[in-house]
Amino acid sequence: MILASSAAFNWSVAWQYHGALLAGFGVAMECAALALVISVAVGLVVALGRMSRSPVRFLAALYINLFRGCPIIVSVLWVYFGLSLLLGINFSPLQAGVIALVLLYSAFISEIYRAALEAIHKGQREAGLAIGLHRFQVFLRVVLPQATRIAIPNIGSMFIGMIKDTSVLFTIGLGELIYVTQSAVSNTYQPFVLYTVAAGFYVVAAFILDFLFRLVERVLVKPAKGPLAEWLTGRQTRRAKAIADGVLPIG
Amino acid sequence: MVVTAPQGAGPTGTATDPAADGATVTAGVPAAQLRDPGAAPVVELRGIKKRFGETEVLHGVDLSVRQGEHVVVFGPSGSGKSTLLRSINLLERPDEGSVRVLGVEYGPAPCAPSERGSPMQLRRQVGMVFQQFHLFPHLTALDNVALGLRRAKRMPRPEAYRQAAAALASVGLLRWAAHFPAQLSGGQQQRVAIARAVSLDPKVMLFDEPTSALDPELVGEVLAAMRKLAESGMTMVIVTHELNFAREIGDFNVFMEQGAVVESGGRGFYDQCSSPRTKQFIGAVL
Repeated sequence: MILASSAAFNWSVAWQYHGALLAGFGVAMECAALALVISVAVGLVVALGRMSRSPVRFLAALYINLFRGCPIIVSVLWVYFGLSLLLGINFSPLQAGVIALVLLYSAFISEIYRAALEAIHKGQREAGLAIGLHRFQVFLRVVLPQATRIAIPNIGSMFIGMIKDTSVLFTIGLGELIYVTQSAVSNTYQPFVLYTVAAGFYVVAAFILDFLFRLVERVLVKPAKGPLAEWLTGRQTRRAKAIADGVLPIG
Repeated sequence: MVVTAPQGAGPTGTATDPAADGATVTAGVPAAQLRDPGAAPVVELRGIKKRFGETEVLHGVDLSVRQGEHVVVFGPSGSGKSTLLRSINLLERPDEGSVRVLGVEYGPAPCAPSERGSPMQLRRQVGMVFQQFHLFPHLTALDNVALGLRRAKRMPRPEAYRQAAAALASVGLLRWAAHFPAQLSGGQQQRVAIARAVSLDPKVMLFDEPTSALDPELVGEVLAAMRKLAESGMTMVIVTHELNFAREIGDFNVFMEQGAVVESGGRGFYDQCSSPRTKQFIGAVL
């Protein structure tokens, strides 16, 4: 019987495997970061499809409901074993992992974007059209910047969820954090120590990302809130200020 | 049923000498520069009908606006005056009728393909100021004004910023060029909105209740900006409840109710209107 005393827990294995654990975490982050960038793009397209007046909106709604209901493990195994057979392409575990995450999270992100886009007052579009902008320019320069600002906090939460979901990818052989941890546990028989350290990685990442996304939020608010955000956005206002103070000639 | 004032007519519908209209001008704001009956109107709306679902809000309304003229449209809520104004730059698409601006047809009325234009073409010649300002909150005042110049007029950046700064200076807000709309008062925001519309050098300016969302103290600064614009000879169509201002500036005044024009007239209309409903409305407001 192993007693839960410090004598039974060998914390030094954490240090022993720290390189491998870090590398594994790096793989998890790489996978999640790739998936996030692609999901934001795909999610926006799906949101626009959902909001369009053409039959595309039924396809978009079907996709959203299908994948919001699907557990990540099922999605991962389906992509790696099923989709690859269907398309005749052999996905690497990383590719399969990114595709599975994108399929799942684009559905959630598209709903976030749809809510953000619908929150923009109709008058903003009208004002954009009234100054002679093309519909696409109104979307790109008036609506999308405002919608992104509204969507960012929720997208941040999604990203943290995505990083945690990379933990199922060991099932298809991706060398991410859990895979490495399992391998270390089988060598050292210290599951408590090693899984605690693994959890620690995810938690620290969540804290850092929370800080970063809140910074992004403060940067996107106009005017920017907080000294760091103000410094980052200084460029936008500096030119206008120069003109306002009469430093730049009006002509 | 539609009532429009024939050219050169006074407020009671009798024909008067066009030159006599100039005699009733209030000091400071000149009457329409061109009263030449032969000149084509800048804006011509004919038979405008608009339905929202089951409700018809405009029952075939006509409106003509000449070069340099200041037209005031007023009336109770739901009279269709905003809808009529928004038909001029096609933010509302009429179900029937002709919308001609500078001789080009934009409405649903049938016409030769060579005379038809696209809504975007139209909106690049018509400026609009909204009741809720609708400045772009993610852009500075300067960028708000410069956006149209850079993207719609395709001006290079330094030139666009120069013109935007000049437009802001003309409404007295150059000092606030680097401020965001959230940092400006309502009156300042509306003046930036005026600068944004005017900087694009429109042929006609539309104002949809520009002061209705403002604190009473801030109304004056916006009216001053509009007065300055009027004095420079801009053709303006204004929907407003500010009838004192309308009396001062309106070359042609239209009273609407329930989707039709009740009565209209030139300068002096507010004191010499004949319909009892018009008198009642003006009496309640002025």
